[in-house]
Amino acid sequence: MDWFSYLTSGIGVYVALVVFTGGMAWRVWQWSRTPRSPVRLALYPKPKTGSARFGKLLVDTFVAPQSFRIAPAVMIAAMLFHLAALAAFFGHLRLVHEFDPLVGWLGEGGMNTFAAWSGGAAGIIMMAAILYWLGRRTFGAFKNLSVPEDYLLLVLLLGIVVMGNHLRFVGGLHADTYRAWFQSLLALNPSFPADMAGRGEIWALDWHMLFVDAFLIYFPFSKLTHAIGAFATNLVRSGE
Amino acid sequence: MEKKTIESMVGVLDARMNRQLKQYMDICARCAICKDACHQYVATGDMKYLPARRAELLRQIYRKYFTKAGQFMPALYEAREPDENLIDELYESTYACTGCRRCTYFCPFSIDTGWITAVSKGVLIAAGRGNEMLGQLADAALFKADNMDMFDSIIVDGFKDVERELREETGRDVAIPVDVAGADILYVALAGSHSIKPAAVIFDAAGASWTLSKFEAANYGFFFGDPAKAKLIADRFMNEAKRLGVKEVVITECGHAYRVAEMFYEAWAKEKMPFKVRHILEVIDDYIKDGRITVDPKAITQRVTYHDPCQIGRNGGIYEQPRDIVTAIAPDFVDMTPNRETQWCCGGGGGIVAMEEFNTVRLASGGKKVEQIRATGATILACPCENCRLQIEELDKVHDLGLRIVPVMELVAEALVPKK
Ligand code: SF4
Ligand code: SF4
Repeated sequence: MDWFSYLTSGIGVYVALVVFTGGMAWRVWQWSRTPRSPVRLALYPKPKTGSARFGKLLVDTFVAPQSFRIAPAVMIAAMLFHLAALAAFFGHLRLVHEFDPLVGWLGEGGMNTFAAWSGGAAGIIMMAAILYWLGRRTFGAFKNLSVPEDYLLLVLLLGIVVMGNHLRFVGGLHADTYRAWFQSLLALNPSFPADMAGRGEIWALDWHMLFVDAFLIYFPFSKLTHAIGAFATNLVRSGE
Repeated sequence: MEKKTIESMVGVLDARMNRQLKQYMDICARCAICKDACHQYVATGDMKYLPARRAELLRQIYRKYFTKAGQFMPALYEAREPDENLIDELYESTYACTGCRRCTYFCPFSIDTGWITAVSKGVLIAAGRGNEMLGQLADAALFKADNMDMFDSIIVDGFKDVERELREETGRDVAIPVDVAGADILYVALAGSHSIKPAAVIFDAAGASWTLSKFEAANYGFFFGDPAKAKLIADRFMNEAKRLGVKEVVITECGHAYRVAEMFYEAWAKEKMPFKVRHILEVIDDYIKDGRITVDPKAITQRVTYHDPCQIGRNGGIYEQPRDIVTAIAPDFVDMTPNRETQWCCGGGGGIVAMEEFNTVRLASGGKKVEQIRATGATILACPCENCRLQIEELDKVHDLGLRIVPVMELVAEALVPKK
């Protein structure tokens, strides 16, 4: 590994994970030590039973049906983006361990083809959603609402997705090669496997990881803490 | 802006900080999904009325003084020290907000812009930019409470006059009891006999044990944005209720007064009240369903529609009782679309009807309500909130709707079948 690879695809990953985990824990701790509003900020109607309330909290947070009603285009983009990101996350778990039952069923070649199609689709969906958001923010009637943070996050996401797509569509390596690199990270001894030596995928992976690291480091200090906060704020519709 | 002023603004924000507010400040995605929920933004397209923008102004101060990230990289978050420009925009967007929380309903994270603007009002007061008219109205209510020796006989005499008028109008021996210790109900009305007479007739018909509060329900301290004053104003009738030992406090058809008494007061007073708080329409609905009063199901022959005031509907949970009452006396009832939790705000809440400087945006923002009412073809609008009625009466004149705009209880009083 040269110094840039070591910084982005080696040590940087550890730093990013520590900052992300610590930052999110710190954010949640900050929220939890601030007393709740003493007055009832209720929004009606509310379900009567505890289980219906819990169900409503999940639906409100994961689906937000009322937001779909008023802004279908934004919400469709948001939903597709989040689902594609989730799919991409699961796909990346191949780096931790190969999905053996699936390989047994599809065969090694079949598995790689399936990963290429599903990963490719997820990458394209995410890119389309990010470009839509960037366009909406930049040219929409309410662009003055946006602050630099909004663009920074979109640029970081775009960087992650573009470089990921590059690895997927232009690169010729499959998961087993990247798994060897990822395993070295898990073993706290980051290095690239021999079959990556001298290949163009290295710079694409390094840039992919640079954006991933920066994104994870910035996450706890950004509005993206809605990933956890939304469960608490949506309680206004379903809590006591 | 002077350092001392900034310190006191930041101090207010610190004092009003709670978990929800902190989360609202931290997680808004600035997705602008809320923009089409707000009647003021929809009517004007003006950024300062976009719900998330109203919150963003407070967020700029929050980022600057309450977050390390905002202090470290202010440009990234547009974190800033408050200056006259920020205060001017904050004033316009904050006092215009009717607190309807329609934006909260549609926000994917339920961000409560109505609550955020309530806190912004406190910050504006600290900057010496609280709305003067609302402040004066709040002070007048407190002056009355502090000088009851001076006002008591005037108030009681006024009630006697209303009682006399009511007896002449109805030909019945209806009483308006005041200061009755041990009564079941303390009824808190508004200034003016229109909120007393129909209730008195209905209580009389139901054989209710009630007494009329000497204080009006309206709470300009709440609209002004000063919870301490708002509490003192509500204290007036809450203490009266305690003194008289009533079983329940019944709030008249006034949206914010109901929300203050039912949702906020116990938290402000830090004590559990020894009585229930109910809205007059909950009580009347029970009277009809329990057979304590009899109403003529065909009494109101014209088409009637109903407006959900935001403070008792979306923010208070009272949707069905008023509809049940109206449909019990008016066979031709047509609901507005949308209704209940997605009902459009009429544009008259949050004290805006008392602030002339917002007349233009207020009347423009009623456009959705006008469309909704027109679509029903109704000639009577039942509306259980004084501020909504004032706004819709003005919309009625401007748009020539030809509406009769009435409190629900007035229709009930008309539909009462006298006991044999
Ligand atoms: S308040 Fe809610 S709907 Fe409005 S911009 Fe923020 S997150 Fe989006
Ligand atoms: S509470 Fe109502 S008036 Fe205020 S920003 Fe939200 S929708 Fe607009």
